[in-house]
Amino acid sequence: MVFLRSEDHLARWLQAHGWEPGATLEASQLNALARAWWWTRLDPGWRPRAPEESQAILDELGLTGEFWALR
Amino acid sequence: MDAFDLDVRRHVYFSVVANGRPPTTEETAAAFGRDEEEIEDAYLRLHDAHALVLFPDSRRVWMANPFCFAPTPHRVHAGGRTWTGTCAWDALGIPSALHGDGFVETECACCGEPLELEVVGGELTTGRNLIAHFVVPALRWWDDIGFT
Repeated sequence: MVFLRSEDHLARWLQAHGWEPGATLEASQLNALARAWWWTRLDPGWRPRAPEESQAILDELGLTGEFWALR
Repeated sequence: MDAFDLDVRRHVYFSVVANGRPPTTEETAAAFGRDEEEIEDAYLRLHDAHALVLFPDSRRVWMANPFCFAPTPHRVHAGGRTWTGTCAWDALGIPSALHGDGFVETECACCGEPLELEVVGGELTTGRNLIAHFVVPALRWWDDIGFT
């Protein structure tokens, strides 16, 4: 996952590598995802999340569809 | 993941926060009063469970996500230290994991131009005009986590 200045830079970057587009998020969306995903990582009682719990985090942020399917 | 492995994982993460780096298997063995081989096995089980990432063919911690212990373009100032984020997502994950504010120095993947993002009170206050791109679909994130 990388940061880019703009959609133009993304298009150039994908073309330079010959990669198909994946999923693009605004930086504030990525921050919301990071906040939800990593918030409990240092909790003393941390346990691995079940796949459906992780999927629910993605769903709540509108990250749905085949690209975001964990299973 | 059994209770011992969870204890080892917690020790690794707490050591990262306390010292800015992950403990070696030797250091963790000393902390637990166990043989180093037992700790090496625990590190490997945690790697296989995606709870840590080890450098290839080693028992050294490469990633305790969102923290990374190899160079990347993502430097994160948070919690009184400068960290390395594994990727764009993890870079913003470090202030989240530390429950604090953070300042990210990174670069555009296309042109290498420096970029800055800042998180204050959980909100992105600088860098809102930037975008992030995921090339790899979620189902394949762990096929090659270094690339992902």
